[in-house]
Amino acid sequence: MSISKIRGCIGCGECVQACPTDVIRLNKSDVKAYIAYPDDCQMCHLCRMSCPVDAITISPEKSIPVIISWG
Amino acid sequence: MNNKSKLYYLVPCGIFYLAVPLIYMIVGDFPSRTVLKEILSLATVGAFFLFLGQFYLSRINTVTLKGQNYSKVVKLHKIIGYVCIPIIFLHPFFIVLPRYFEASLDPVDAFWLILTTFDSKGIILGLIAMALMILIGITAILRKRIHMKYKTWRTMHAFLSLAFIFVATWHAVDLGRHMDTFFSEYTIFMSSIGVVFLMRTYFFNNENKEKTHEE
Repeated sequence: MSISKIRGCIGCGECVQACPTDVIRLNKSDVKAYIAYPDDCQMCHLCRMSCPVDAITISPEKSIPVIISWG
Repeated sequence: MNNKSKLYYLVPCGIFYLAVPLIYMIVGDFPSRTVLKEILSLATVGAFFLFLGQFYLSRINTVTLKGQNYSKVVKLHKIIGYVCIPIIFLHPFFIVLPRYFEASLDPVDAFWLILTTFDSKGIILGLIAMALMILIGITAILRKRIHMKYKTWRTMHAFLSLAFIFVATWHAVDLGRHMDTFFSEYTIFMSSIGVVFLMRTYFFNNENKEKTHEE
């Protein structure tokens, strides 16, 4: 498991759309994101990068460095 | 009364409204982040708890402030208010500020996304709390310019503060990153103390009410 916690979610749904493996879902009752399928996380960091309030934590010990193009 | 006893009321205020929340944030089981993010979080939570402490540092607190020089207490109340309002006003910017230093969503886009997520109860509560806080700040700064009796202004200030604390506490508990069960209960408890002070002054204690209004 790579994605570990979601705290302070505002329920914008950006992470749900960003996740390529459908790990995150939006809880309809409290309109907050939750980790539905943690084992499917591929550590791509797209959810973390798309979250406007930086609510998503990815376990640092299992995380791989993200290579970003600056060009 | 010696100096020690004059400042005695500041000790519980400092412990319960500043030290306990900040220490809990530092030592609690929360995801560790960059130093900048942690400092901004500490500033925001510290300012919020000092707001809760404003009920303690006001004339409605006739319990622990009995025998104190109220003008000094009110001076401290004003200083805290004028320092904390800008911090709380800026805290939505604090959330997106670290985005300038990391590879992620554009800070302006992130800020706009936060402000326009109207599906979120926490965001709506935050916007209402922000409006109330600005109203409290403006009416406090312009108190002498708005044609209002002091007693009326103070009652208005108290009830605007009550509304603000209710909405802001709900917002904090709903969206706060550090709001686990203990911290949520602690925040609600500390807010309730202020509400009890206010209710006691304005609704349940006629003798005290008259005394407070005469000052």
